[in-house]
Amino acid sequence: MKKIPLEVYPFAGDLRVMASFLLRIEEFSKSIPIQAIVDTGSPITLIGPLDSKRMRISKIQLRKLEGRNKPVNIGGGKVITKIIEKTKLRFGGGLEFDMPVEFPIEDEKNPLQPSLLGVDFMLKTGAKLFFDPTKREAYFEIED
Amino acid sequence: MEQQELSVLKDFERDSKWFHENINKLRRGGFAGKFVAIKDSKPIISGENIDVIIKKIEAKGENPSYIFIEFVHPEGFTLIL
Repeated sequence: MKKIPLEVYPFAGDLRVMASFLLRIEEFSKSIPIQAIVDTGSPITLIGPLDSKRMRISKIQLRKLEGRNKPVNIGGGKVITKIIEKTKLRFGGGLEFDMPVEFPIEDEKNPLQPSLLGVDFMLKTGAKLFFDPTKREAYFEIED
Repeated sequence: MEQQELSVLKDFERDSKWFHENINKLRRGGFAGKFVAIKDSKPIISGENIDVIIKKIEAKGENPSYIFIEFVHPEGFTLIL
């Protein structure tokens, strides 16, 4: 059994489970640290506009990356995301997973949208989420 | 290379931890409603426009990709995902 420790912090009005990882986009060949809210209500893993800007990925570069566009409803509003297939998520303990992530292409409507680690991650890795808000403890468990 | 990348993640996690543990201090310090960049457990740049902050980080010779930047939501604000 492998364990990925997660952080529990009060953020934007509530306790949130957060995961930090290195995101590697094959076409850029560099790894960028990301902190994402673990969101079991989100079917997708999404890199928010702030993290896209930190990564210095322009909209033009995003459009050029290999992947397809798709409409997504986020926070009650519809945005178009680009699904980037060739990405890796690497966690502190050395665990690494290949999985697609989505970047909003039109981010003007919700610039504060945080990055999300969605249920797609749990499905892809078989991870189970343990979350005890009282003790502020959380982790993913992944069977070998 | 691998060690260097893990070291980047470790520094990022340390600065994230500092941000979340000091969020009320940041609010009291006038950072509410602003983006703040944290490095070595202290705020280095803040402002309302993320593009300007990123340019200021670059002007300091730092790579914004490796710097923890977050928005300081005002007290009482709730974000529904």
